[in-house]
Amino acid sequence: MEQHTKKTKNNLKASLLKQIEQEKVVPRSRLFFRCQECFVWTLWLLSVLVGALAVAISLFVVTHHQYALYEATHDNFLTFMVSVLPYLWIIIFATMVGVAVYNMRHTKRGYRYSIVTILASSIVLSFAAGSTMQYFGLGYSLDSLFGKQMSMYMSQAKIEKQLWQAPHDGRLIGQQVLATTAPTTTVIFQDSAGDRWVLNVSELTSMDLYLLGSEQTVRLLGTASDSTAKHFHACGVFPWVLGQAMKASELSKERQAFISRVYDHKDRSKERLAKLELAVFEETDEPSVEEAEGVCAHIAPVRRIEASMH
Amino acid sequence: MEQHPPVPLSDEEVVIKTLVDKQFFGEIVDRYEAKLTRYIARLGVRNTDDQLDLLQEIFLKVYKNLNGFDTSLQFSSWIYRISHNEAVSWYRKKNVRPEGHLIADSEELLGFLSAKDEAADIDFDKTVNAKQVNAALLRIEDKYRQVLILRFFEHKEYEEISDILKIPIGSVGTLLHRGKKQLGTELNQEALRI
Repeated sequence: MEQHTKKTKNNLKASLLKQIEQEKVVPRSRLFFRCQECFVWTLWLLSVLVGALAVAISLFVVTHHQYALYEATHDNFLTFMVSVLPYLWIIIFATMVGVAVYNMRHTKRGYRYSIVTILASSIVLSFAAGSTMQYFGLGYSLDSLFGKQMSMYMSQAKIEKQLWQAPHDGRLIGQQVLATTAPTTTVIFQDSAGDRWVLNVSELTSMDLYLLGSEQTVRLLGTASDSTAKHFHACGVFPWVLGQAMKASELSKERQAFISRVYDHKDRSKERLAKLELAVFEETDEPSVEEAEGVCAHIAPVRRIEASMH
Repeated sequence: MEQHPPVPLSDEEVVIKTLVDKQFFGEIVDRYEAKLTRYIARLGVRNTDDQLDLLQEIFLKVYKNLNGFDTSLQFSSWIYRISHNEAVSWYRKKNVRPEGHLIADSEELLGFLSAKDEAADIDFDKTVNAKQVNAALLRIEDKYRQVLILRFFEHKEYEEISDILKIPIGSVGTLLHRGKKQLGTELNQEALRI
């Protein structure tokens, strides 16, 4: 039995050496293994980089100051976030984290680390690199580059244009092209679709008029009083600045300014109603209730802000 | 003057020498043939011809990949890893499940029951025989069986098991714990059957 085992043993050793000799089997070169390891690490690095780009663009989108005005376009913050979240980039980020984890696990010593450690390190690295990229404005640059190069890609600029170019919902984006001064004030506004609107600016503040007159691209909030004749009653003018990094304090200031300007319309409406009551009591020439209240007191964003205040 | 016997070469040194002169590969075969035969048998390759074929494939693969051997690992862990992977591929190719007789004899069983302090905490009747342990081992999940075999029958340390199966050391502990629990349950059921 022992003899048989010994024979088999010698046979295996002899047959292996013979096979190696006859078939000229040689060990794979060290370079082959180095390249293999480099390939896995390169894939890992690439996945972290693409993940970082996804983070940069996502950060640009979610920290962009458009949400300071979310009541202008949506019923509440939740519905607003659901419609503007960068799903494509979130999916790309998740995929890249998966690829990074897979590659890391397939490096020479990757198996020694737990999935949680590898997962956390990939996420942290992508976030760190992505935040740095966004700090230098790469999120905005890439987003607009993709938007220009790919018609299907919804860049932040395209999304905002889509959100604000909605005359039936009382929103316009564009610039003032003509204005005559008092007493027959007429303002012509061209929106991003190329349509020209005659604006009623009676309820705008001096700040709004100043912004409108700057002939920069602005966002208008109001109501289309006559869509066929292209008449628009303006209630607020807001700058359209894309790609500008804003601090949290600036963002909060912009939001406060938006809320107070829109909410003012409600207060002004109360003042006007008080004047109307006075006019009725004193039997002077009274305006109609609608005229006295003003159109802007009834636009959707005013109602939404009022509801959120109570 | 007293003459010291020559210090035998370590596995890693033999690998370096093999890369220069292929005849040294015979030394690797000598050192590991018996260990690997036993290991692949435990993994379920029972037929002698199959074992020889598989060993031939394993050693050839080892030879071809010698330059890929990571010197931060123990050579034995590396060669066991290749053997494990080849055995798994062999099952898949043949589309079979591991066969019985993972524990060869009562001596091994005795070793399993008493040698390793950890095995003692498997809750089962100590009067079981090798046949019962074999049957119970075959019924537990592959991932647990593989870890139990390496720990209790191949006497590998946690770090070595981690290197062989390419799993984190923490997972080795978890798999061992769960494997022992499952084996205990199976052994008790086996005793009830008898």
